[in-house]
Amino acid sequence: MTMTTAPVTGEWRLTKARVALPRLLWAELRWIFRRPRTLVVLGLLAVIPVIIGIALSFADGGPTGDADPPVFVTAASSALALPIGALTVLLGLLLPLTVTKAAGDALAGEQANGTLRGWLLAPVGKGRLLLVKAFGVAVVGLVAAGLVGTTGFLTGLISNGTDGLFTLSGTTLPLLDALGRVAIAVGWVTVQLWALGAVALAISACTEHPMLVLATVLGGVIVSQVLLVFESLDWLHPFLLPASWDALINLVRDPIWWDGLGEGVLRAACYLAIGLSLAYARLVTSDG
Amino acid sequence: MQPRTKGIAAAATGTTVGLAGLLIMAMPADAGLEPELPELSATELVEAALSAEAPSFEGTVAVNNELGLPALPGLGLADAESARVYHDSDKGARISLQRGSTEFTAVHGPDGAWTYDSSANTATRYPHADQVRDLTRQRGEFSDPASAAAEIIDVLSESSTITIDGTARVADRDAYELVLTPKPSERTLLREVTVAIDAATKLPLRVEVMPNGSPEPVVSAGFTEFAVGAQPDELFEFTPPKDADVSTADPDKAREALPKHADPAQALDDVGEALGEPLAVTGSGWDTVLTGTVPEDAFAGAAEHLNELSGRNSAPENATMNLLSRFGERFTDGEVSGFEFTTRAGTGVVTDDGRFAVGAVPRQVLIEALEQQ
Repeated sequence: MTMTTAPVTGEWRLTKARVALPRLLWAELRWIFRRPRTLVVLGLLAVIPVIIGIALSFADGGPTGDADPPVFVTAASSALALPIGALTVLLGLLLPLTVTKAAGDALAGEQANGTLRGWLLAPVGKGRLLLVKAFGVAVVGLVAAGLVGTTGFLTGLISNGTDGLFTLSGTTLPLLDALGRVAIAVGWVTVQLWALGAVALAISACTEHPMLVLATVLGGVIVSQVLLVFESLDWLHPFLLPASWDALINLVRDPIWWDGLGEGVLRAACYLAIGLSLAYARLVTSDG
Repeated sequence: MQPRTKGIAAAATGTTVGLAGLLIMAMPADAGLEPELPELSATELVEAALSAEAPSFEGTVAVNNELGLPALPGLGLADAESARVYHDSDKGARISLQRGSTEFTAVHGPDGAWTYDSSANTATRYPHADQVRDLTRQRGEFSDPASAAAEIIDVLSESSTITIDGTARVADRDAYELVLTPKPSERTLLREVTVAIDAATKLPLRVEVMPNGSPEPVVSAGFTEFAVGAQPDELFEFTPPKDADVSTADPDKAREALPKHADPAQALDDVGEALGEPLAVTGSGWDTVLTGTVPEDAFAGAAEHLNELSGRNSAPENATMNLLSRFGERFTDGEVSGFEFTTRAGTGVVTDDGRFAVGAVPRQVLIEALEQQ
């Protein structure tokens, strides 16, 4: 596969007169998942939980040093804590990077290649264009989170067996219950990624430099996480998306503490509304 | 210009909805009006609160500690916590304390009592069920506002003026605000303690300790969620997970570790635990003072940590002195000299001959207590 794939797929759309939505969505997905960089990042995401799992099982069992996130003490022997711990760690930077990159390529990247014009020449409305692009970004988010969850859970099961699915509260869960929790974790992380993706799309619609999208959104994520450290800024914290990212660990408690998780979904929904509406406004008002 | 208007309308609507949502989430809960409740005298309310049988309930507790303790490295003191409490009158009780991404769980059920600490993956079995009740009380002193408040009212009622100061909404429930003010004879740094008592169950829902000269509580612990109702059986059962270190508590030792008079500050619990010997109590009520002897290695962990940080390797005694002078202030008061530590709610002293005293009182009272020992 070569890097020339993207412009070529852009061109054949020119010949289509009235394109059905499912075909557009399918074409978008093919375009995204054929890019080597997408595959490389996804591969990396799938491998990281395995690396964490192996590192933990060789780490001599007992509690590790102060520097390790304490959830991994549990993850060393619980197949449930590994995927959720891995999701928590990766949500800090690598998962946002994956989604933001996809959003940057979706509009800014195509603008830079000149292929975005092709979309508009074919009778595809701007609302539809945003729908297709947002769908692509959303699928990338789901696949990324899903991969981390799946390989993390499988690694945990292989190293600890199906009878080692215990929670931070010390209770052991049946396999199906644990599977359900990992699925909820993947879904929850996906929603957070969608919120970031929506903001990234809004910026992506304003520029033709994908790197600018990446820098802005990841910069925002990092600055938010820094601001969350300062207690004197606690009035600001409810406005920051990463404020509820710690809540993911509540899925490893028994019974699950839903409070922070629900709040996280609502916060993500607010970001989603702001991001998508700004992206739409920018697309509709821009010329071309 | 049609698409332009459409775009601006979309941007305005979406952004407004999103920002409004974020704003609503940022609003403090329970900011509602004071509910109307039937008149009740303070004495009646105190009696009702002290004799109230806890109903079966499930609740979430938030603990806020603004003591202003110096951050001692190596001593995990007084970190903000939240906890989940389950109680069923017929089946048992369960408390889960959340500390970052670890959890300490205490289960007290029909087939015995267990504690589980996820940070070390250790489970401890308590053959005698009443011990775990003590243990839950100690570990969860300020995590279960109901039992903490009952204890505070019990200890302070003799030396306080008790009034009812209106009503409040706590955890979405109607509550009376009971205020305990120290009598003029009490020499304390605290202004008052307010306890919100649930109108329906008479269970304390929130405790706030107010210092002199500040509207912000030094310590507050309260339910953020509280729901009355029977709890499922499996909450009160416990089977230690695979690979966990399981031990059985020695009945005698478990008792020794529990200080008899745990002060509200979690810090004191930790100190008592580290000392492994009972603390002496002087005075009663608001100006209670705890005194004891500092074990030689008490600050070793913190001192070692400081050594590591500074890259120097000073002798243990020097390191301890460094540590004390770093966080405390040198004082000489008559016969006694040492270091003084002040927080928003109290004072602590460590004397040069290795004794210490703490209390919610000015230094002078601490010195008097030390002299009495």
